[in-house]
Amino acid sequence: MLNFFIPTLAFLFQSRLVDGLSRMWESAKQPDLSKFLVVGALLFIIGVAGVLTRRNIIVIFMSIELILNAANLNFIAFSRYLQVTNPANAVAGQLFAVFVIVVAAAEAAIGLGIVIALYRNKETIWVDEIDLLKW
Amino acid sequence: MTLSGYEALFFWIFALSAIFAGLLTVMARNAVHSALFLISSLVSVAALFVIAGAEFIAGVQILVYVGGVMVLFLFVIMLVNVGAEEMGREEIFNKQKQVTASLIFCFLLVGGVLYAVSEGYRGLQAINSQKVAEQTALQAARTQRLGTGATGTSRITEDTQNLGALLYRYGSLPFEIASVLLLVAIIGSVMLARTLKQEASADDVDPETLQEEIASDPELAKLELRSE
Amino acid sequence: MYKYIWLVPLLPLIGAAINGLLGRKLRFSEQLIGGIAVGSVALAFLISVAAVYSYGFGGHAHWPNPYLTSQDGFSFDWIPGGAVSVNAHSHTAQGAEGASEGTKYALLNVEWSYQLDPLSAVFMLIVTGVGLCIFVFATGYMHGETGFYRFFAYMGLFMFAMLVLVMGSNFLMMFVGWEGVGLCSYLLIGYYFQRQEAANASRKAFITNRVGDFGFALAIFGIIATFGSAQYTEVFNLAKGYPIEAIGHWGVLSWIALGLFIGACGKSAQLPLHVWLPDAMAGPTPVSALIHAATMVTAGLYMVTRTNVIFQHSQTMLLVVALIGMATAIFAAIIGITQNDIKKVLAYSTVSQLGFMFMAAGVGAFAISIFHVMTHAFFKALMFLGAGSVIHGMHHEQDMRRMGGLKKYMPYTYWTFFAGWLAICGIIPFSGFWSKDEILWNAASTTVIPLGWLVWLVGTIAATCTAFYMTRLMALTFWGKERFREKPEHHEIHGEHGHAEHVPHESPRSMWAPLVVLAVLATIGGLVGIGAAFKPITGSDHPGGKLHIANWLNPIIWNPTTGEFNVPHGAEHEPAAPETAHAAATETAPAHGQFVLAPYPDTGFNLAHAVDGVLHSHLATEWTFIIISLLVAGIGIGLGMLFYVKSPSLPDAWAQRLRPLYNASYNKFWVDEFYGWTITRRVMDAARAVYSFDSRVVDGIVNGLATLSRGLSQVVGGIDKYFVDGIVNTVAAFIKELMSPLFRAAQTGFTQNYALVMVLGLMIAVATFFASDIARALKQFFAAVM
Repeated sequence: MLNFFIPTLAFLFQSRLVDGLSRMWESAKQPDLSKFLVVGALLFIIGVAGVLTRRNIIVIFMSIELILNAANLNFIAFSRYLQVTNPANAVAGQLFAVFVIVVAAAEAAIGLGIVIALYRNKETIWVDEIDLLKW
Repeated sequence: MTLSGYEALFFWIFALSAIFAGLLTVMARNAVHSALFLISSLVSVAALFVIAGAEFIAGVQILVYVGGVMVLFLFVIMLVNVGAEEMGREEIFNKQKQVTASLIFCFLLVGGVLYAVSEGYRGLQAINSQKVAEQTALQAARTQRLGTGATGTSRITEDTQNLGALLYRYGSLPFEIASVLLLVAIIGSVMLARTLKQEASADDVDPETLQEEIASDPELAKLELRSE
Repeated sequence: MYKYIWLVPLLPLIGAAINGLLGRKLRFSEQLIGGIAVGSVALAFLISVAAVYSYGFGGHAHWPNPYLTSQDGFSFDWIPGGAVSVNAHSHTAQGAEGASEGTKYALLNVEWSYQLDPLSAVFMLIVTGVGLCIFVFATGYMHGETGFYRFFAYMGLFMFAMLVLVMGSNFLMMFVGWEGVGLCSYLLIGYYFQRQEAANASRKAFITNRVGDFGFALAIFGIIATFGSAQYTEVFNLAKGYPIEAIGHWGVLSWIALGLFIGACGKSAQLPLHVWLPDAMAGPTPVSALIHAATMVTAGLYMVTRTNVIFQHSQTMLLVVALIGMATAIFAAIIGITQNDIKKVLAYSTVSQLGFMFMAAGVGAFAISIFHVMTHAFFKALMFLGAGSVIHGMHHEQDMRRMGGLKKYMPYTYWTFFAGWLAICGIIPFSGFWSKDEILWNAASTTVIPLGWLVWLVGTIAATCTAFYMTRLMALTFWGKERFREKPEHHEIHGEHGHAEHVPHESPRSMWAPLVVLAVLATIGGLVGIGAAFKPITGSDHPGGKLHIANWLNPIIWNPTTGEFNVPHGAEHEPAAPETAHAAATETAPAHGQFVLAPYPDTGFNLAHAVDGVLHSHLATEWTFIIISLLVAGIGIGLGMLFYVKSPSLPDAWAQRLRPLYNASYNKFWVDEFYGWTITRRVMDAARAVYSFDSRVVDGIVNGLATLSRGLSQVVGGIDKYFVDGIVNTVAAFIKELMSPLFRAAQTGFTQNYALVMVLGLMIAVATFFASDIARALKQFFAAVM
């Protein structure tokens, strides 16, 4: 079924597609702020998906690190952009990124400590086995 | 801040690398593989930082994030030591309902975010176009004034100096608070990760609980407990 | 000096307060307590003597006018009352202070001030003087008692109350003192409060007193309503203007006199309210001496004499007073003959002698009644203290049948008692003779009331009985066989310690010294009242001028013939006061017709006049009666000696012969039993009935209401628990059934579910925030696509 619909659609909208694709190629040749933001956004969403989907608690933590990284990327991108538009306060973005890294480090340490305590008590790292709040 | 030439190329390389590595982090079966993919993602992001002109942050990212946090992750993975996962007998994803719902939301998010970014950037451009033009020229002039590196091609930027000035002049209070936060984290993590034996020998266990624990684990009784 | 009479009641009060409040707390020694008490009374006595001397004989002598301390500023506005409506028929409205025409109001302002006049002077001296002797005696007698301080505190309080009574300037102060002595009598009779008989006796005394006080209070109300004032000077000034109410005409003054006399009966133990006095012997002997011989019981006499104006206006009441006094005298004398407890004999003797005093008052000889009060105080206090000394020496043995022959063991006690004995029997020249003889003479010769001869006759018989039983007492106690050496009978009356032999011993000096003083007074004290019969020897009707009791008390005695005070009876016959006689002769009857402001209507047979008719000499008549009274006293003594010294078997023989009379006398005529049956037990029955009504009906209602409330609350509780709560629970269960699975399903315990929900929420929040933009974009997209 898909084999039928996609070519049909491509054929029907081919002009628009071609138009859009060429535009995309041009903008890709000169990446600017929006590309940075997109990259950050995609990383963020991947991280969210990982948090919601995985069973292994360590992997969930790593997904959280991904999310934080994405946020950092956003900050830095805007910092670079501000160097052009508002140079005086541009470095603030990097400053904030420093703090984000600090917090991420602290949170990782504590979180992994909790994981270890949890593992000692429950002998498991699968989150769906840790459901004491279940009715 | 439009990138061009080799900058654009490397940007795309590292961007795609970061995204790909992130995806694999989430999808890897083995936790160690996940950790390694995350490391590569973080390094790619550090490169992106360099391209964006934040060299110091890139360095911090490598040192702290990759060198500290990820190493810690690896330690913990080793500590936890899940054999079944490696052998591929455990499920790595949640039940189907949860996964389906998550994926739906994530796709919605993707659509929304992409649209928002593009629209937002267009608006931003509309506002700042003139400034951008001016500042780009000034920026170029400024970079001409910076000193060059050994090869003569790259400039030695003043990013660290600027960041340091801002951090210690305007951000000194948050800086101190952050240091306190780190202290708390250190103490907390040490406290969280103690075994019962360690707690008993440090006399941090409620006597009743201790009795129960000794009843269930005779080895504890062998300890010389300070309170008795 | 009389300015300082306000100190006289105050000093004993201060002594009592110090002893009472600090005596136990600061642990005063007996000497200190006794010293304070005796010292305060001694000081009061000295001040009284000085005051009376300066009042009567000093440079600025006030006599015959009364001296009120308010004249020198010492008076306290005690009850500043307002207008008092006065009896419409009273004479007060005419010319009284503060009254206005037609409204019949008077201003009642009661002040606290002391009055020194002849009557109160006599009583002050008696109370403080005899009281001083008794206080000194009591320091010896009460030695070793644990409540030593309490005794003297009460005694001091009593002195204060008695002095207020006799020194008060108005009826309300007298009433305060009246109640105060009643209270102290209660406290002191019940001094040995651990003994049931003492507690009973003190209660009986107080309640019987109260019956009398009721009458007294009514009389005071009557006085205030009639005269509009309570001050003696004002009341008596107004009262003398009233018409005399002869027998058969009973008016307002008779009512007042009746109320006053009821009070006097209660306080002075006259028939029928005499029952408390013999029982009051349960108190310590000094108490009996002070209160029940010398002072408190004479308060009735004081009151009657003070209000002699009112009494003399009511001939009926005077007759009543005389008859009751007479009846009491003989009644108590008969009972006294058969009693075995030494103190009971003296108690009945006191009742009998009080009867004599009221006899004197009833026949119009008020000064003589006060004279007898004085002499009786001396010899009766002497005899009570002597009895106390005997009891002390006999180690608290009070039954005369176990005494005897104490003459040689207790000489001081014996000889002083001897003097008292002769005094009470009425042997010349001891004090009792002078007063008793005057009483009998006035009874025989009275023109104030009818039946004077009867009063004389019964009085003489009572005097014989008095001599008889007093001789019996002397014989059983001091003469004859020493029965205390005999083994006691197997059922003993005072028998906790069956001691076989205790040799009696004389009392210490603190006890016999007052006895000596009182004996001297009992011997020579009568010389202030030498009667007119001795005119040939003394040269005047009442020798001694102001020192003679009749002359001294004259200013307060009202003369019905002249309608004025300070005119001695009989002076209207002397030419020395022609104006007075002229005034009397020309005195016209007041507007009220029948009643005459003159001596009383004819009083029938008069014994003295009869004898006078036979002998034709006033002096001979008087001497006849003197001889008769000495004779009967001698007969009494002789019979007593015969029965108890010469032939001791006679009493039992005669007791057998007169068995009914003996039984009646021994059982006190069964008066107490009668009162118990009629009054006491009926009152207690009524009390029980009321109590059962209260506990069953009233409390039953209350309890029933409570039970009702409880039942009601249980019903309401049931409704609440089953019905209301049932509704609530049903509704809640329904909701739970409905919703529970739904809400339960949300609590998976699975953290990532929660995270998913968070993400969803975040998306919704952002979408809401950008709602308009999203709508616009969607529109554009569809527009572009289509």
